[in-house]
Amino acid sequence: MGFFSNLDVEAYDREYSDRELLKRIVFYIKPHRGRLIGISILLILIGAASASLPLVISNSIDRLAVNKDDSLVTLLIGLVMLAALINWGGNWLRRRMTVRVVSNIVMTLRTDAFASAANHDLSFYDKYSSGRVVSRITSDTREFGQLILLITDLGAQMVQALILGVVLVSLEYRLFLYVMGFLPVVFFIARSFRKAARKVTREGMRAMAKVNATIKETVSGIAVAKNFRQEPKIFSDFNQANIESYRINVRRGFVLSLVFPVLNALGGVGTAMLVYAGGMSAVQGWVTIGSWYLFVVGLDRFFFPVLNLASFWAQVQAGLSAAERVFALIDADPAVVQTGMFAPERLSGRIQIEGLGFRYVEDEWVFQDFDLNIAPGENIALVGHTGSGKSSIAKLIARFYEFQSGKILVDGLDIRELDLTAYRKQLGVISQIPFLFSGTVAENIQYAYAGSRPDEIIRLAREIGEGEWLETLPEGLDTQVGERGAHLSMGQRQLVALLRVLIQNPAIFILDEATASIDPFTERQIQQALDLILRDSTSILIAHRLSTVKSADRIIVIDTGRIIEEGTHESLLGNNGYYAELYNTYFRHQSLAYVEESGKLL
Amino acid sequence: MNNPYQLTSEYSLPEEYQVPQRVIASRKRPVSWLLAHFYQYWYLGLSMLVGAIGNASLAAVVPMMVGLALNALLEDPPATGSLLRFALIIVGTQLVRGGLQLGRNFSAELLGQKMERDIRHELYTSLLGKSMTYHSLLPVGDVMARATNDVREINFMFSPGLNLVVGSANFILMPIIFSSRYHPALIAAPLAFLVLYIFALWQYLHELKPITDAVRKAFGVLNSRLAEAVDGIETVKGMAEEASEVRLFAGNARRFRDRQIRQGDVEARYLPLLVMGLAIAGGMFHAILLFQRGLLEVGDIAAYYGLLGLLGFPTFVSLFAYSQISLGIASSRRILELINRETELDQNQAGHKQDMLGQIQFLDVSYAYPGAENTLEELDFTIQPGQTVAIVGQTGVGKTTLAKLVNRTYDASEGAILIDEVDVRDWNLAALRRGISIIEQDIFLFSNTIAENIAFGKPDASEEEIIQAAKLAQAHEFILSFSEGYDTLLGERGVTLSGGQRQRLALARAFLTDPRILILDDSTSSIDSATEDEIQKAIFEAARGRTTLIITHRLSQIRWADIILVIRQGRIIARGTHEELINSSKAYSQLFKE
Repeated sequence: MGFFSNLDVEAYDREYSDRELLKRIVFYIKPHRGRLIGISILLILIGAASASLPLVISNSIDRLAVNKDDSLVTLLIGLVMLAALINWGGNWLRRRMTVRVVSNIVMTLRTDAFASAANHDLSFYDKYSSGRVVSRITSDTREFGQLILLITDLGAQMVQALILGVVLVSLEYRLFLYVMGFLPVVFFIARSFRKAARKVTREGMRAMAKVNATIKETVSGIAVAKNFRQEPKIFSDFNQANIESYRINVRRGFVLSLVFPVLNALGGVGTAMLVYAGGMSAVQGWVTIGSWYLFVVGLDRFFFPVLNLASFWAQVQAGLSAAERVFALIDADPAVVQTGMFAPERLSGRIQIEGLGFRYVEDEWVFQDFDLNIAPGENIALVGHTGSGKSSIAKLIARFYEFQSGKILVDGLDIRELDLTAYRKQLGVISQIPFLFSGTVAENIQYAYAGSRPDEIIRLAREIGEGEWLETLPEGLDTQVGERGAHLSMGQRQLVALLRVLIQNPAIFILDEATASIDPFTERQIQQALDLILRDSTSILIAHRLSTVKSADRIIVIDTGRIIEEGTHESLLGNNGYYAELYNTYFRHQSLAYVEESGKLL
Repeated sequence: MNNPYQLTSEYSLPEEYQVPQRVIASRKRPVSWLLAHFYQYWYLGLSMLVGAIGNASLAAVVPMMVGLALNALLEDPPATGSLLRFALIIVGTQLVRGGLQLGRNFSAELLGQKMERDIRHELYTSLLGKSMTYHSLLPVGDVMARATNDVREINFMFSPGLNLVVGSANFILMPIIFSSRYHPALIAAPLAFLVLYIFALWQYLHELKPITDAVRKAFGVLNSRLAEAVDGIETVKGMAEEASEVRLFAGNARRFRDRQIRQGDVEARYLPLLVMGLAIAGGMFHAILLFQRGLLEVGDIAAYYGLLGLLGFPTFVSLFAYSQISLGIASSRRILELINRETELDQNQAGHKQDMLGQIQFLDVSYAYPGAENTLEELDFTIQPGQTVAIVGQTGVGKTTLAKLVNRTYDASEGAILIDEVDVRDWNLAALRRGISIIEQDIFLFSNTIAENIAFGKPDASEEEIIQAAKLAQAHEFILSFSEGYDTLLGERGVTLSGGQRQRLALARAFLTDPRILILDDSTSSIDSATEDEIQKAIFEAARGRTTLIITHRLSQIRWADIILVIRQGRIIARGTHEELINSSKAYSQLFKE
């Protein structure tokens, strides 16, 4: 399906010159040159064996026509047997070698592509959807592998066509020219079919997608439909789409059904003309009868590879552009650049931000000349409206993004000069939607510390809410969390993420709190886990819950990239300033006073 | 007509859309089910067969004519007159052959498309008739995979699958049929081919099957971990685990490669190819021996060679044609699994149909999901008409299950649930559901306009009614904030709503149908206090004058409910009003500490 693959162009795509692209491809192919040479030799051998079949038969016919008991003929038939063995054995070896070359190249390319993807910073992932990154790593690499396979498959056929072509020309060039006269016609028809097939296929896919969307919508909404007894309505929607898809796909089927009959009929006409014209040449004595026969039977074997050539170029281009997409992913420029590789000892967690300037996109500064000091062990809460820049501070400290000016110092060390892996091992980061990997709860808790002892995990897990949260997990800590943690509730996922950080015991803790609704029982347990972490780390909390804000030592109020207020919850609320306004907008409804008050709405 | 496969259904279609009885009766086994579908279009099967036979036999005409031409040329003097005749016969037969082949291809194609259409229809209508229990236990993704890929696979099974199988089988037969024209003994090579080919192919397909499954599985592992790692890249980076993820990926990629190579090795050893080569060589050898004994003419050897060449088609297409068939059968098995799965609930047409008052009684109710331990145990309580009951507890303790027992999404395993003192199982299902409205946790809106979504349960509602319902649900204002107002399109091609907005639309839907019992499974959160005010107002308004079961995280809704049930591990551990519980239940009182 080469023609669908060129549609998704990304900004990190670059145009490689043919030379550069070739160089990159050669780099991956080079380690396999021994096998590739072997494959090439086999291709020639197989092509020759296939071509020899009609040659031997026509030669035998010539001989037998002259001398019925020509003993050489027996030898020739022995050659047919040999050709059959070479054909099968050669193909056997060739395919064994090819599959090794192709799957090794694809594996290396995939691993390289993923390794670079894993090293790209988050600004890269903000711009490019993860689905497309994944498809470059899996589908595009596979398509490139297919290209190699395609070339070797076609190679044998081309060798065969070439040998036959040379023999046919030398036998009788006029007859050969006559055969060649068919070529443009065949080519033209093949190309028109491709074009038509592409059009009807696209329409067919669209109709299919519509049926599927209808089914998906009604299956997802079936509870609602049944609740309100609206089954006839959704049925008629479906029925319409289903019938429409049938109608369009039958048209597609007709076009595709037409291809081979037309080509076969054309081949029949060509053969018939050759039978007649060649026969007359033989009568004239221009060619032997065996040669005439060779033209007749060689026609198919000559045209089949040529026909494949008609679609070959499009496939090569699709394969090359797939390779180009993979290389572009590998070569995308990193935004976060480390200037040193210093691996710090256990950090105390002092953070100094001085004169920081940062922007995600050109001309839109998030901060300019921003200063902030956080003492070791201090817990600060960042509050502000969406877009105030509070999340950006946390992400810059985690070194997920590159900043443009100023400094961020941790324990007096410039974070640009640190070994990122060593530094991040001392950070505990929880993103807004806590992410779990498929596996058990316990495996997720020890994600970064696979060595931690199971009884340590159990002790910690039981400490939180006296283990009440484990009650609803069918297998306790051995419960499978499902893909991306889908089997757990949001609250449970947060608990797992918090335990993960607790086990890690980081010097600096960064929490982007979830906005999802969590039942009050789980919420109480989350608060307990959070308190345990806050006790031992310097913490930066992007708070969405009132209780989290209250548990901070210092609240920092941010608006459009500037600190406008700071202090404790009580002092700030007393000031009746910007924080009080934020409180009324975001936190008021979480207070118990609101709960009592809401009775008035009854 | 008593048919074991005519399952009970919650919903029946008008007659013209119903699936034929013959098909329904055959649902036990995939192959007989496919045959029952096929039976309706037997004429397409027939025309496919006729086309296939015609196509193959006319294809055999070419080498036979070439052989005759060769003989004619070898005559002394050459019979040039008959040369033209043979050429014309070739032209004529090949044009007719094109027509027949088109007939074969298009018949198969039509057959495939009709099968796809009919089976999708059958599956869909069967899904419509299944109970809500069935649907709530079945992941949407699973249903979708079967309704899309598997249905498509059945199409492919007929075209190209069956088309190629039937077509290529005829190409095997033609050399066997026609070679005896030259000498009866010449049947040996094509016959030997047939026997060895069947054997070699059978062995090949059996060897390949487990390996391709392993390859597919290895790719699944590779792909799903990759997708997870890329989606969770922030976590990976935050934990500095890039290196170990790359190692893990490289390991998965290596395992996939190893299996792919194993598959490649089996495919490389494709024996039918060798069988064909040997059949041709052996056949030629045989023909020449006969020729030297004077039993054949030169042209006959050529014709025979051409006939043996027909074996190439079956040799190459069987690489995938047979797998296509077995894929189709596997797909139909998966589809039938969905269709045949029991659904316990039925419409209960004759059941209780009175107007509902809204009293709910749980009498020692326990519930267990199929094959699992009890999720709920010995629930026993009564709710009077008009009361509001808050059900609280950790996520996963069974609150949602409890709510779904009321409208018979599930049926109690033990005990009974009475509404207006009638067992819910004795209610007419339609009447029961009309009286009860349930707003689920994941609020589903259709990709229609806002107005159509609100009026979903009452399609004939007037504009005033819709607006009135939206106002009660505190949705009117945000609806008007869209430029298209009530005609705003929702979903993929339209506006995406926030959780709070979706919830208010669902409430508006409920206001319009005015149920006696409202079940609200509420897990939305409000980012800001102003929205929270609106939602609280809407929920209080919805609860007014009807029995309301509310599962919520909102302390305000819990605080002001008439009865609060605290659930832990499937049991009620505390019940009462807020004032009662704040003193008597430690678990409850902790929720209200700052």
